[in-house]
Amino acid sequence: MTFLEKQSDPTSFMHWRGDMQADYLYTNGVAGNRFFAHLKKKDTFLASRCPQCKKVFMPPRMFCEDCFCDIPDKAWIEVPARGTVRVWTVATINAHGKKLKEPKVIALIDIDKTDSAMLGIIKTKNPDKDLFGQKVKAVLRPKKKREGTLKDILYFE
Amino acid sequence: MREVAVIGGGMTLFRRRLLETGKELSYLATKMAMEEAGIEKQDIDMVVLGSAPDAFDGIHIKGDNLVDGCAAAGKPYVRVFNGGGTGVFAPIAGWWHVASGVADVALVVCEEKMGSCYPHPQTAFRHIWDPILDRPLNPNLVWLFAMEMNRYMTAHDIKKEDIALVAVKNKRNAVGHPCAQLADPNITVEDVLNSEMMAWPVQRLDISPPSDGASALIYCSKDKARQFTDEPVWVAGTGWTIDSTMWTNRDLYFPQYVANAAKMAYKMAGISNPFKEIDIAEPYDPFDYKELHHMEGLLLCDKGQAPILTREGVTQRDGDLPVCPSGGLLGVGNPIAATMGQKVCELYWQLTGKAGKRQVPGDPRVGVGQAWGDIMQMGTVIVLRK
Ligand SMILES: [Zn+2]
Repeated sequence: MTFLEKQSDPTSFMHWRGDMQADYLYTNGVAGNRFFAHLKKKDTFLASRCPQCKKVFMPPRMFCEDCFCDIPDKAWIEVPARGTVRVWTVATINAHGKKLKEPKVIALIDIDKTDSAMLGIIKTKNPDKDLFGQKVKAVLRPKKKREGTLKDILYFE
Repeated sequence: MREVAVIGGGMTLFRRRLLETGKELSYLATKMAMEEAGIEKQDIDMVVLGSAPDAFDGIHIKGDNLVDGCAAAGKPYVRVFNGGGTGVFAPIAGWWHVASGVADVALVVCEEKMGSCYPHPQTAFRHIWDPILDRPLNPNLVWLFAMEMNRYMTAHDIKKEDIALVAVKNKRNAVGHPCAQLADPNITVEDVLNSEMMAWPVQRLDISPPSDGASALIYCSKDKARQFTDEPVWVAGTGWTIDSTMWTNRDLYFPQYVANAAKMAYKMAGISNPFKEIDIAEPYDPFDYKELHHMEGLLLCDKGQAPILTREGVTQRDGDLPVCPSGGLLGVGNPIAATMGQKVCELYWQLTGKAGKRQVPGDPRVGVGQAWGDIMQMGTVIVLRK
């Protein structure tokens, strides 16, 4: 049996209306604090290198999940705020099914000199273009406007 | 079932709000337990995570988020939770893994980051109620505990002064705990009785604080235990029971669900006289009256007798039955699931003589730990023995 009915009126049942409102304050963490403090002042990224397996994490971590060891402060390195597109997609409608004014290009970007990728928005005039292997660099907020959050990375281009 | 040994424990600082993320807290506790046990990530076969509602950390399916810090990436992993009962239920689930033979070495991690829920984690507790039958009244957990405390006091004619002795004992016991959030060497009964009234008879110092923190425990099978330690501590018994959500229909002065869980654990451990055979108890103490309530639920004394034992000093660290020698939730803090640190890791440290300034004298051999949760309905019990 298939339910073909698309939407019934939920208020036709006797009911109680509630919400699950709760607000949050998420601390950056030990590694996050250092990463974002750097990003506020510099145009590069900080990464951390595992002293055992030498894997370079970006965003940086205070521990290596594979070797399960600390990554000490001296094993942190500065890397350029750029990378290579590994894979991407183009969103054309929003979560409510409405067509977006402009298509949005989302990519997984392998950050140069690291073993890590990060999710980023790609700004391009040509969203239909094949982006595999495209070199991109991060465009950051003007220094005065940076607040030490991921929002300081505006997009990649 | 196979015999299961505890070979290591770990615990982070407990604080109202810590800089560390949940993953970082989990890593710190896990790393400490691994170092105590003398094992590496590759020695761990399976991992169990205990963490209470997602609404505290503010990450839905937070168990998946915490994996990296739990040495679990690439391994069999499961999260268990039953509210406040989790701190003892997670180590019970870890024990299944080894007792059943599916794992030789199992790690249990418990984490809670209540500080993320802002401004206060009480906002998350607003959503634990039945939406139709409770929530229209906008209930608050403190109301519920106030009524349970009042009922317990009335049923046995217990004075508030005697209940306050529990808060004083536990906050003083916590002075020797390196992770403690609310240790106080000078606190008195008067301080508790003069603290802010929240909902009669519950006052500010009757309650444990919300906290951030993590703890970890490592188990291993009997065949492998000697590789890691000369003095293993064994899981002698486990028990768990849930009662109906119809808490309104219970008598409220005796936690029958805790008694059922305790009987299950004692039967497995071959304990027939808990007061005589148990050397240390770590009942769940988010409120001072709950320690007393739970001592009775754990059948450590008759109904209504726990305040008398407390007044007579029996439950002090150097008494006949030390209760919450860790400092409990009242003194060390209450990051819900992570209280495994006081309720189970503490027993391991006490039985192996590693409890430092908190060490109970007289070579304790048997300890019982207990937690309690959901809407006053879950009882979880573990017995450790050396
Ligand atoms: Zn590594």
